[in-house]
Amino acid sequence: MNTRTPVYLDYAATTPVDERVAEEMCECLTRNGCYANPASSSHQPGRDARGRVEQARREVAALIGASPTEIVWTSGATESDNLAIKGAALAHADRGRHVVTSRTEHKAVLDTCRSLEQQGWDVTWLVPGEDGIVTASQVADVIREDTVLVSIMHVNNEIGVVQDVAEIGAVCRERGVIFHVDAAQSAGKVPVDVQAMSVDLLSVSGHKVYGPKGIGALFVRRGPRARLEPLIHGGGHEWGMRSGTLATHQIVGMGAAFRIAAEEFRADSIRLGDLRRKLWEGLKGLGGVWLNGDPERRIAGLLNVSFEGVEGESLLFALRDLAVSSGSACTSASREASYVLRAIGRDDQLAQSSIRFSLGRFTTASDVEFAISRVRDQVQRLRSLAPASSENLGARVS
Amino acid sequence: MTVPAYSNEVLRRFEEPSGAGPMFGQGPDVVRGVAGDFSRGTRVEFQLRLREATIAACRFQAYGCPHVIAAASWMSERAEGVALTDLPTDFTALAVAEALDAPAEKLGPLLVVEDAFAAAVAAAQDRQAGA
Repeated sequence: MNTRTPVYLDYAATTPVDERVAEEMCECLTRNGCYANPASSSHQPGRDARGRVEQARREVAALIGASPTEIVWTSGATESDNLAIKGAALAHADRGRHVVTSRTEHKAVLDTCRSLEQQGWDVTWLVPGEDGIVTASQVADVIREDTVLVSIMHVNNEIGVVQDVAEIGAVCRERGVIFHVDAAQSAGKVPVDVQAMSVDLLSVSGHKVYGPKGIGALFVRRGPRARLEPLIHGGGHEWGMRSGTLATHQIVGMGAAFRIAAEEFRADSIRLGDLRRKLWEGLKGLGGVWLNGDPERRIAGLLNVSFEGVEGESLLFALRDLAVSSGSACTSASREASYVLRAIGRDDQLAQSSIRFSLGRFTTASDVEFAISRVRDQVQRLRSLAPASSENLGARVS
Repeated sequence: MTVPAYSNEVLRRFEEPSGAGPMFGQGPDVVRGVAGDFSRGTRVEFQLRLREATIAACRFQAYGCPHVIAAASWMSERAEGVALTDLPTDFTALAVAEALDAPAEKLGPLLVVEDAFAAAVAAAQDRQAGA
Protein backbone atom coordinates (compact mmCIF):
# COMPACT_ATOMS: atom_id res chain seq x y z
CA MET A 1 0.00 0.00 0.00
CA ASN A 2 1.59 3.28 -1.09
CA THR A 3 0.08 5.84 1.26
CA ARG A 4 1.57 9.23 2.08
CA THR A 5 1.68 9.69 5.83
CA PRO A 6 0.41 11.11 7.97
CA VAL A 7 -2.94 10.40 6.42
CA TYR A 8 -5.10 13.44 7.06
CA LEU A 9 -8.40 12.45 8.69
CA ASP A 10 -9.10 15.66 10.60
CA TYR A 11 -11.31 17.54 8.15
CA ALA A 12 -13.66 18.57 10.98
CA ALA A 13 -10.79 20.58 12.47
CA THR A 14 -9.97 22.26 9.20
CA THR A 15 -9.76 21.55 5.49
CA PRO A 16 -7.05 22.34 2.96
CA VAL A 17 -7.95 25.20 0.65
CA ASP A 18 -9.24 23.75 -2.61
CA GLU A 19 -6.88 24.66 -5.46
CA ARG A 20 -9.78 26.23 -7.36
CA VAL A 21 -10.45 28.46 -4.35
CA ALA A 22 -6.80 29.42 -3.97
CA GLU A 23 -6.65 30.50 -7.60
CA GLU A 24 -9.54 32.92 -7.12
CA MET A 25 -8.05 34.25 -3.89
CA CYS A 26 -4.75 34.95 -5.62
CA GLU A 27 -6.56 37.20 -8.08
CA CYS A 28 -7.27 39.61 -5.22
CA LEU A 29 -3.85 40.09 -3.67
CA THR A 30 -1.21 41.65 -5.88
CA ARG A 31 -1.05 44.88 -7.89
CA ASN A 32 -2.27 43.21 -11.06
CA GLY A 33 -5.28 41.89 -9.19
CA CYS A 34 -8.34 43.07 -7.32
CA TYR A 35 -6.50 44.41 -4.28
CA ALA A 36 -8.24 47.73 -3.64
CA ASN A 37 -10.34 48.49 -0.60
CA PRO A 38 -13.93 47.44 -1.31
CA ALA A 39 -15.08 50.50 0.64
CA SER A 40 -13.33 52.83 -1.83
CA SER A 41 -16.32 53.53 -4.03
CA SER A 42 -14.72 56.66 -5.48
CA HIS A 43 -12.57 54.72 -7.97
CA GLN A 44 -12.86 51.73 -10.28
CA PRO A 45 -10.41 49.40 -8.48
CA GLY A 46 -12.42 49.88 -5.30
CA ARG A 47 -15.66 49.25 -7.15
CA ASP A 48 -14.13 46.11 -8.72
CA ALA A 49 -13.17 44.80 -5.29
CA ARG A 50 -16.67 45.58 -4.03
CA GLY A 51 -18.04 43.60 -6.97
CA ARG A 52 -16.01 40.55 -5.97
CA VAL A 53 -17.13 40.89 -2.35
CA GLU A 54 -20.78 41.11 -3.36
CA GLN A 55 -20.45 38.13 -5.70
CA ALA A 56 -19.03 36.12 -2.79
CA ARG A 57 -21.86 37.33 -0.57
CA ARG A 58 -24.35 35.97 -3.11
CA GLU A 59 -22.49 32.63 -3.21
CA VAL A 60 -22.53 32.22 0.57
CA ALA A 61 -26.16 33.28 0.78
CA ALA A 62 -27.15 30.81 -1.94
CA LEU A 63 -25.80 27.81 -0.04
CA ILE A 64 -27.96 28.53 3.02
CA GLY A 65 -31.10 29.88 1.35
CA ALA A 66 -30.53 33.46 2.48
CA SER A 67 -30.69 36.84 0.80
CA PRO A 68 -27.23 38.39 0.17
CA THR A 69 -28.14 41.38 2.34
CA GLU A 70 -28.51 39.02 5.27
CA ILE A 71 -24.83 37.97 5.19
CA VAL A 72 -22.39 39.77 7.50
CA TRP A 73 -18.69 39.01 7.06
CA THR A 74 -16.73 38.11 10.20
CA SER A 75 -13.32 36.62 10.98
CA GLY A 76 -14.75 33.13 11.43
CA ALA A 77 -17.43 31.10 13.15
CA THR A 78 -16.15 31.99 16.63
CA GLU A 79 -16.67 35.68 15.97
CA SER A 80 -20.03 34.91 14.33
CA ASP A 81 -21.13 33.02 17.45
CA ASN A 82 -19.99 35.87 19.68
CA LEU A 83 -21.74 38.48 17.57
CA ALA A 84 -24.93 36.44 17.40
CA ILE A 85 -25.17 35.56 21.09
CA LYS A 86 -23.80 38.68 22.75
CA GLY A 87 -25.22 40.93 20.06
CA ALA A 88 -28.74 39.53 20.39
CA ALA A 89 -28.62 39.34 24.18
CA LEU A 90 -27.50 42.96 24.47
CA ALA A 91 -29.96 44.22 21.88
CA HIS A 92 -32.88 42.50 23.61
CA ALA A 93 -31.85 42.91 27.23
CA ASP A 94 -34.91 45.09 27.82
CA ARG A 95 -37.13 42.07 27.00
CA GLY A 96 -35.37 39.55 29.22
CA ARG A 97 -32.07 38.03 30.25
CA HIS A 98 -32.55 34.31 29.73
CA VAL A 99 -30.63 32.28 27.14
CA VAL A 100 -31.00 28.57 26.27
CA THR A 101 -28.21 26.40 24.87
CA SER A 102 -26.89 22.85 25.24
CA ARG A 103 -23.93 21.28 27.03
CA THR A 104 -22.48 19.88 23.80
CA GLU A 105 -22.11 23.14 21.90
CA HIS A 106 -18.77 24.29 20.54
CA LYS A 107 -16.64 26.24 23.00
CA ALA A 108 -17.31 29.38 20.99
CA VAL A 109 -20.94 29.14 22.13
CA LEU A 110 -20.32 27.70 25.60
CA ASP A 111 -17.77 30.30 26.59
CA THR A 112 -19.83 33.14 25.14
CA CYS A 113 -22.87 32.02 27.13
CA ARG A 114 -20.71 31.69 30.25
CA SER A 115 -19.57 35.25 29.67
CA LEU A 116 -23.19 36.38 29.60
CA GLU A 117 -23.83 34.37 32.76
CA GLN A 118 -21.04 36.26 34.50
CA GLN A 119 -22.69 39.50 33.44
CA GLY A 120 -26.00 38.56 35.00
CA TRP A 121 -27.83 36.63 32.29
CA ASP A 122 -29.50 33.35 33.23
CA VAL A 123 -28.46 30.45 30.99
CA THR A 124 -30.25 27.09 30.76
CA TRP A 125 -27.86 24.32 29.70
CA LEU A 126 -29.78 21.48 28.04
CA VAL A 127 -28.35 17.96 28.25
CA PRO A 128 -28.78 15.89 25.08
CA GLY A 129 -29.76 12.24 25.09
CA GLU A 130 -27.25 9.40 24.76
CA ASP A 131 -27.57 9.82 20.99
CA GLY A 132 -26.32 13.41 21.29
CA ILE A 133 -29.65 14.86 20.17
CA VAL A 134 -31.41 17.83 21.80
CA THR A 135 -35.13 17.61 21.15
CA ALA A 136 -37.50 20.44 20.33
CA SER A 137 -39.63 19.50 23.33
CA GLN A 138 -36.60 19.96 25.62
CA VAL A 139 -36.26 23.47 24.25
CA ALA A 140 -39.98 24.18 24.48
CA ASP A 141 -40.03 23.09 28.12
CA VAL A 142 -37.43 25.62 29.24
CA ILE A 143 -38.47 28.70 27.25
CA ARG A 144 -39.78 31.37 29.64
CA GLU A 145 -41.31 34.82 29.41
CA ASP A 146 -37.86 36.37 29.68
CA THR A 147 -36.11 34.05 27.19
CA VAL A 148 -34.56 36.10 24.40
CA LEU A 149 -32.29 33.59 22.63
CA VAL A 150 -31.90 29.87 21.92
CA SER A 151 -28.55 28.73 20.51
CA ILE A 152 -28.29 25.14 19.26
CA MET A 153 -25.66 23.87 16.83
CA HIS A 154 -26.68 22.11 13.61
CA VAL A 155 -23.92 19.46 13.52
CA ASN A 156 -21.79 18.61 16.52
CA ASN A 157 -18.09 19.09 15.87
CA GLU A 158 -16.97 16.12 17.97
CA ILE A 159 -19.49 13.40 17.22
CA GLY A 160 -21.10 14.62 14.00
CA VAL A 161 -24.75 14.20 14.95
CA VAL A 162 -27.28 16.38 13.15
CA GLN A 163 -29.77 18.24 15.31
CA ASP A 164 -33.32 18.77 14.12
CA VAL A 165 -32.95 22.53 13.98
CA ALA A 166 -36.12 22.96 11.90
CA GLU A 167 -38.25 21.61 14.74
CA ILE A 168 -36.41 23.70 17.30
CA GLY A 169 -36.71 26.72 15.01
CA ALA A 170 -40.46 26.25 14.76
CA VAL A 171 -40.73 26.25 18.56
CA CYS A 172 -38.66 29.41 18.82
CA ARG A 173 -40.63 31.18 16.09
CA GLU A 174 -43.93 30.29 17.77
CA ARG A 175 -42.69 31.55 21.14
CA GLY A 176 -41.11 34.72 19.75
CA VAL A 177 -37.56 33.77 20.72
CA ILE A 178 -34.50 34.48 18.55
CA PHE A 179 -32.93 31.26 17.27
CA HIS A 180 -29.18 31.07 16.59
CA VAL A 181 -27.55 28.06 14.93
CA ASP A 182 -23.83 27.35 14.77
CA ALA A 183 -23.58 25.76 11.32
CA ALA A 184 -19.78 25.69 11.07
CA GLN A 185 -19.81 21.90 10.71
CA SER A 186 -22.92 21.59 8.57
CA ALA A 187 -22.74 24.19 5.81
CA GLY A 188 -21.43 22.50 2.70
CA LYS A 189 -21.99 19.03 4.16
CA VAL A 190 -25.76 18.77 4.61
CA PRO A 191 -28.57 20.96 3.24
CA VAL A 192 -28.94 24.22 5.17
CA ASP A 193 -32.02 26.36 4.55
CA VAL A 194 -32.50 29.25 6.93
CA GLN A 195 -36.11 29.66 5.79
CA ALA A 196 -37.17 26.05 6.31
CA MET A 197 -35.30 25.98 9.63
CA SER A 198 -36.82 29.23 10.93
CA VAL A 199 -33.34 30.38 11.87
CA ASP A 200 -32.73 34.03 12.79
CA LEU A 201 -28.95 33.94 13.14
CA LEU A 202 -26.58 31.35 11.65
CA SER A 203 -22.80 31.12 11.91
CA VAL A 204 -20.64 29.71 9.11
CA SER A 205 -16.92 29.39 8.53
CA GLY A 206 -14.71 29.43 5.44
CA HIS A 207 -12.06 26.94 6.45
CA LYS A 208 -14.38 24.02 7.19
CA VAL A 209 -15.51 24.04 3.55
CA TYR A 210 -12.13 24.07 1.71
CA GLY A 211 -11.92 27.85 1.95
CA PRO A 212 -9.37 29.97 3.83
CA LYS A 213 -9.02 30.41 7.57
CA GLY A 214 -9.77 33.82 9.06
CA ILE A 215 -13.07 34.38 7.33
CA GLY A 216 -16.62 33.55 8.31
CA ALA A 217 -20.09 34.98 8.12
CA LEU A 218 -23.18 35.47 10.18
CA PHE A 219 -26.62 35.22 8.63
CA VAL A 220 -28.81 37.90 10.20
CA ARG A 221 -32.46 37.64 9.29
CA ARG A 222 -34.00 40.78 7.82
CA GLY A 223 -37.64 39.75 8.02
CA PRO A 224 -38.59 39.47 10.78
CA ARG A 225 -35.49 41.44 11.62
CA ALA A 226 -33.07 40.02 14.16
CA ARG A 227 -31.62 43.03 15.97
CA LEU A 228 -27.99 42.86 17.06
CA GLU A 229 -25.77 45.11 19.12
CA PRO A 230 -22.42 45.24 17.27
CA LEU A 231 -19.30 44.09 19.08
CA ILE A 232 -16.79 45.84 16.83
CA HIS A 233 -17.25 49.54 16.11
CA GLY A 234 -15.43 51.79 13.67
CA GLY A 235 -16.45 52.71 10.15
CA GLY A 236 -19.91 51.21 10.02
CA HIS A 237 -19.06 48.41 7.60
CA GLU A 238 -21.53 45.56 7.13
CA TRP A 239 -24.58 47.69 7.90
CA GLY A 240 -22.96 48.80 11.13
CA MET A 241 -22.92 45.27 12.51
CA ARG A 242 -19.22 44.54 12.02
CA SER A 243 -16.79 47.30 11.25
CA GLY A 244 -13.39 46.77 9.68
CA THR A 245 -11.88 46.75 6.19
CA LEU A 246 -13.16 43.76 4.27
CA ALA A 247 -10.51 41.16 3.39
CA THR A 248 -11.35 40.76 -0.28
CA HIS A 249 -9.17 37.70 -0.92
CA GLN A 250 -10.55 35.86 2.12
CA ILE A 251 -14.11 36.75 1.24
CA VAL A 252 -13.66 35.72 -2.39
CA GLY A 253 -12.15 32.45 -1.17
CA MET A 254 -15.10 31.76 1.08
CA GLY A 255 -17.51 32.57 -1.70
CA ALA A 256 -15.76 30.23 -4.12
CA ALA A 257 -15.63 27.50 -1.49
CA PHE A 258 -19.35 27.79 -0.82
CA ARG A 259 -20.15 27.85 -4.57
CA ILE A 260 -18.13 24.66 -5.12
CA ALA A 261 -19.71 23.06 -2.05
CA ALA A 262 -23.17 23.80 -3.41
CA GLU A 263 -22.26 22.03 -6.63
CA GLU A 264 -20.48 19.06 -5.09
CA PHE A 265 -21.61 18.33 -1.54
CA ARG A 266 -24.32 15.84 -2.45
CA ALA A 267 -21.94 13.65 -4.44
CA ASP A 268 -19.25 14.12 -1.77
CA SER A 269 -21.68 13.01 0.92
CA ILE A 270 -22.52 9.76 -0.85
CA ARG A 271 -18.84 8.93 -1.34
CA LEU A 272 -17.85 9.92 2.19
CA GLY A 273 -20.77 8.01 3.69
CA ASP A 274 -19.52 4.86 1.97
CA LEU A 275 -15.97 5.46 3.24
CA ARG A 276 -17.20 6.14 6.78
CA ARG A 277 -19.20 2.92 6.82
CA LYS A 278 -16.17 1.04 5.53
CA LEU A 279 -14.08 2.55 8.34
CA TRP A 280 -16.63 1.61 10.98
CA GLU A 281 -16.95 -1.94 9.65
CA GLY A 282 -13.18 -2.26 9.78
CA LEU A 283 -12.91 -0.99 13.36
CA LYS A 284 -15.85 -2.57 15.11
CA GLY A 285 -14.49 -6.06 14.48
CA LEU A 286 -11.84 -5.31 17.12
CA GLY A 287 -14.48 -5.66 19.83
CA GLY A 288 -14.85 -3.23 22.71
CA VAL A 289 -15.39 -0.40 20.24
CA TRP A 290 -18.15 2.15 20.79
CA LEU A 291 -19.65 4.48 18.22
CA ASN A 292 -20.36 7.86 19.79
CA GLY A 293 -23.52 9.64 18.74
CA ASP A 294 -26.58 8.56 16.82
CA PRO A 295 -25.59 5.98 14.17
CA GLU A 296 -27.87 7.43 11.47
CA ARG A 297 -28.42 11.13 12.19
CA ARG A 298 -24.88 12.20 11.40
CA ILE A 299 -22.89 13.88 8.68
CA ALA A 300 -21.35 11.57 6.13
CA GLY A 301 -17.68 12.01 6.92
CA LEU A 302 -17.40 11.97 10.70
CA LEU A 303 -16.90 8.95 12.94
CA ASN A 304 -16.18 9.24 16.66
CA VAL A 305 -15.17 5.99 18.30
CA SER A 306 -14.18 4.99 21.84
CA PHE A 307 -11.93 2.00 22.48
CA GLU A 308 -12.20 -0.05 25.66
CA GLY A 309 -8.97 -0.78 27.44
CA VAL A 310 -6.87 1.78 25.58
CA GLU A 311 -5.71 5.10 26.98
CA GLY A 312 -6.42 8.05 24.71
CA GLU A 313 -3.07 9.83 24.59
CA SER A 314 -1.16 6.62 23.96
CA LEU A 315 -3.59 5.71 21.22
CA LEU A 316 -3.25 9.11 19.61
CA PHE A 317 0.55 8.89 19.78
CA ALA A 318 0.55 5.32 18.48
CA LEU A 319 -1.57 6.53 15.58
CA ARG A 320 0.76 9.35 14.59
CA ASP A 321 0.70 8.09 11.01
CA LEU A 322 -2.86 9.37 11.07
CA ALA A 323 -3.79 13.02 11.58
CA VAL A 324 -6.82 12.46 13.82
CA SER A 325 -8.04 14.14 16.98
CA SER A 326 -9.12 13.14 20.44
CA GLY A 327 -11.32 15.02 22.83
CA SER A 328 -9.52 14.23 26.04
CA ALA A 329 -6.64 16.02 27.70
CA CYS A 330 -3.89 14.35 29.67
CA THR A 331 -2.04 16.83 31.79
CA SER A 332 -2.31 15.36 35.25
CA ALA A 333 -3.13 12.18 37.14
CA SER A 334 -6.77 13.06 36.68
CA ARG A 335 -7.56 13.53 32.98
CA GLU A 336 -10.19 15.84 31.65
CA ALA A 337 -12.36 13.78 29.34
CA SER A 338 -14.28 15.17 26.39
CA TYR A 339 -17.13 17.28 27.74
CA VAL A 340 -19.29 16.24 24.79
CA LEU A 341 -18.83 12.54 25.45
CA ARG A 342 -19.38 13.01 29.18
CA ALA A 343 -22.57 14.94 28.44
CA ILE A 344 -23.97 12.04 26.39
CA GLY A 345 -23.21 9.62 29.21
CA ARG A 346 -19.93 7.95 28.28
CA ASP A 347 -17.90 6.91 31.31
CA ASP A 348 -14.48 8.45 31.97
CA GLN A 349 -12.48 5.64 30.38
CA LEU A 350 -14.45 5.62 27.15
CA ALA A 351 -14.58 9.40 27.02
CA GLN A 352 -10.78 9.49 27.37
CA SER A 353 -10.15 6.90 24.67
CA SER A 354 -12.15 8.47 21.87
CA ILE A 355 -10.77 9.21 18.45
CA ARG A 356 -12.51 11.45 15.93
CA PHE A 357 -11.97 10.42 12.33
CA SER A 358 -13.24 13.07 9.94
CA LEU A 359 -13.04 12.33 6.25
CA GLY A 360 -13.19 14.87 3.47
CA ARG A 361 -13.00 15.76 -0.19
CA PHE A 362 -9.50 14.36 -0.67
CA THR A 363 -9.84 11.18 1.42
CA THR A 364 -9.39 8.00 -0.61
CA ALA A 365 -10.37 4.39 -0.08
CA SER A 366 -6.72 3.48 0.43
CA ASP A 367 -6.46 6.16 3.16
CA VAL A 368 -9.33 4.45 4.98
CA GLU A 369 -7.80 0.99 4.51
CA PHE A 370 -4.50 2.28 5.92
CA ALA A 371 -6.33 3.82 8.90
CA ILE A 372 -8.16 0.57 9.65
CA SER A 373 -4.92 -1.38 9.54
CA ARG A 374 -3.04 1.07 11.79
CA VAL A 375 -5.85 1.34 14.33
CA ARG A 376 -6.34 -2.41 14.55
CA ASP A 377 -2.61 -3.04 15.06
CA GLN A 378 -2.12 -0.32 17.64
CA VAL A 379 -5.28 -0.97 19.65
CA GLN A 380 -4.35 -4.63 19.90
CA ARG A 381 -0.78 -3.75 20.91
CA LEU A 382 -1.85 -1.27 23.59
CA ARG A 383 -4.46 -3.65 24.95
CA SER A 384 -1.78 -6.32 25.26
CA LEU A 385 0.29 -3.91 27.39
CA ALA A 386 -2.58 -3.01 29.72
CA PRO A 387 -3.52 -4.78 32.94
CA ALA A 388 -6.84 -6.58 33.14
CA SER A 389 -9.68 -4.17 33.73
CA SER A 390 -11.65 -6.55 35.95
CA GLU A 391 -9.93 -5.23 39.07
CA ASN A 392 -9.68 -1.56 39.72
CA LEU A 393 -8.02 -0.63 42.96
CA GLY A 394 -6.27 2.38 44.41
CA ALA A 395 -2.99 0.62 45.16
CA ARG A 396 -2.50 -2.87 46.39
CA VAL A 397 0.02 -5.60 46.94
CA SER A 398 -0.22 -9.35 47.02
CA MET B 1 -6.21 16.82 23.04
CA THR B 2 -2.91 18.63 23.16
CA VAL B 3 -0.23 16.01 22.77
CA PRO B 4 3.07 16.92 24.46
CA ALA B 5 6.42 16.51 22.81
CA TYR B 6 8.00 13.18 23.54
CA SER B 7 11.70 12.62 24.08
CA ASN B 8 13.56 9.98 22.11
CA GLU B 9 13.74 7.91 25.29
CA VAL B 10 9.96 7.95 25.66
CA LEU B 11 9.53 7.15 21.99
CA ARG B 12 11.94 4.22 22.16
CA ARG B 13 10.42 2.72 25.27
CA PHE B 14 6.86 3.30 24.07
CA GLU B 15 7.57 1.46 20.83
CA GLU B 16 9.53 -1.39 22.38
CA PRO B 17 8.91 -1.43 26.13
CA SER B 18 11.32 -3.84 27.72
CA GLY B 19 9.71 -5.69 30.61
CA ALA B 20 6.20 -5.42 29.21
CA GLY B 21 4.11 -8.61 29.72
CA PRO B 22 3.38 -11.44 29.59
CA MET B 23 3.07 -11.60 33.34
CA PHE B 24 4.46 -14.45 35.41
CA GLY B 25 1.19 -15.59 36.91
CA GLN B 26 0.92 -16.72 40.51
CA GLY B 27 3.66 -18.58 42.28
CA PRO B 28 5.56 -18.71 45.54
CA ASP B 29 8.37 -16.67 44.04
CA VAL B 30 6.15 -14.03 42.42
CA VAL B 31 4.82 -10.81 44.01
CA ARG B 32 2.89 -7.97 42.50
CA GLY B 33 2.11 -4.34 43.09
CA VAL B 34 -0.74 -2.41 41.54
CA ALA B 35 -1.67 1.26 41.57
CA GLY B 36 -3.98 3.63 39.76
CA ASP B 37 -7.43 3.67 38.34
CA PHE B 38 -8.63 3.18 34.78
CA SER B 39 -11.22 5.93 35.15
CA ARG B 40 -8.46 8.40 36.05
CA GLY B 41 -6.39 7.37 33.06
CA THR B 42 -3.47 5.51 34.66
CA ARG B 43 -3.17 2.01 36.06
CA VAL B 44 0.06 0.06 36.43
CA GLU B 45 0.91 -3.42 37.65
CA PHE B 46 4.41 -4.75 38.33
CA GLN B 47 5.29 -8.37 38.98
CA LEU B 48 8.60 -9.35 40.49
CA ARG B 49 10.04 -12.87 40.30
CA LEU B 50 12.28 -13.37 43.30
CA ARG B 51 15.33 -15.52 43.67
CA GLU B 52 15.85 -15.44 47.41
CA ALA B 53 16.25 -11.71 48.16
CA THR B 54 16.99 -10.66 44.61
CA ILE B 55 14.66 -9.46 41.85
CA ALA B 56 15.38 -12.10 39.23
CA ALA B 57 12.96 -10.65 36.73
CA CYS B 58 10.43 -7.83 36.52
CA ARG B 59 7.39 -7.52 34.29
CA PHE B 60 4.79 -4.80 34.03
CA GLN B 61 1.49 -3.97 32.43
CA ALA B 62 0.41 -0.37 32.04
CA TYR B 63 -2.65 1.56 31.00
CA GLY B 64 -1.67 5.16 30.57
CA CYS B 65 -0.04 7.79 28.45
CA PRO B 66 3.28 7.13 26.62
CA HIS B 67 5.24 8.53 29.57
CA VAL B 68 3.64 5.97 31.89
CA ILE B 69 4.52 3.05 29.62
CA ALA B 70 8.06 4.36 29.18
CA ALA B 71 8.46 4.91 32.94
CA ALA B 72 7.28 1.40 33.78
CA SER B 73 9.74 0.05 31.22
CA TRP B 74 12.57 2.14 32.72
CA MET B 75 11.86 0.88 36.23
CA SER B 76 11.41 -2.71 35.13
CA GLU B 77 14.73 -2.75 33.29
CA ARG B 78 16.66 -1.22 36.21
CA ALA B 79 15.14 -3.53 38.81
CA GLU B 80 16.27 -6.82 37.33
CA GLY B 81 19.15 -8.49 39.10
CA VAL B 82 19.08 -6.09 42.03
CA ALA B 83 18.92 -7.30 45.62
CA LEU B 84 15.95 -5.99 47.55
CA THR B 85 18.34 -4.49 50.07
CA ASP B 86 20.35 -2.75 47.35
CA LEU B 87 17.55 -1.08 45.42
CA PRO B 88 18.58 2.42 44.38
CA THR B 89 16.73 5.20 46.10
CA ASP B 90 15.83 6.82 42.80
CA PHE B 91 12.93 4.57 41.81
CA THR B 92 10.81 7.68 42.02
CA ALA B 93 8.59 9.75 39.78
CA LEU B 94 11.08 12.61 39.89
CA ALA B 95 14.00 10.41 38.83
CA VAL B 96 12.12 8.76 36.02
CA ALA B 97 10.79 12.14 34.86
CA GLU B 98 14.36 13.34 34.59
CA ALA B 99 15.48 10.19 32.78
CA LEU B 100 12.65 10.50 30.28
CA ASP B 101 12.84 14.28 29.98
CA ALA B 102 9.16 14.39 30.93
CA PRO B 103 7.34 17.69 31.43
CA ALA B 104 6.24 18.67 34.93
CA GLU B 105 2.57 17.98 34.22
CA LYS B 106 3.43 14.30 33.81
CA LEU B 107 4.54 13.91 37.42
CA GLY B 108 1.01 12.89 38.46
CA PRO B 109 0.83 9.85 36.16
CA LEU B 110 4.46 8.99 36.96
CA LEU B 111 3.64 8.91 40.67
CA VAL B 112 1.23 6.07 39.90
CA VAL B 113 4.15 4.14 38.37
CA GLU B 114 6.24 4.85 41.46
CA ASP B 115 3.40 3.68 43.73
CA ALA B 116 2.91 0.44 41.81
CA PHE B 117 6.62 -0.38 41.95
CA ALA B 118 6.85 0.51 45.62
CA ALA B 119 3.85 -1.74 46.30
CA ALA B 120 5.59 -4.63 44.53
CA VAL B 121 8.79 -4.09 46.50
CA ALA B 122 6.80 -3.92 49.75
CA ALA B 123 5.14 -7.21 48.83
CA ALA B 124 8.57 -8.73 48.13
CA GLN B 125 9.92 -7.57 51.47
CA ASP B 126 6.86 -8.98 53.24
CA ARG B 127 7.36 -12.27 51.42
CA GLN B 128 11.00 -12.34 52.47
CA ALA B 129 10.15 -11.49 56.05
CA GLY B 130 7.65 -14.32 56.15
CA ALA B 131 9.93 -16.83 54.45
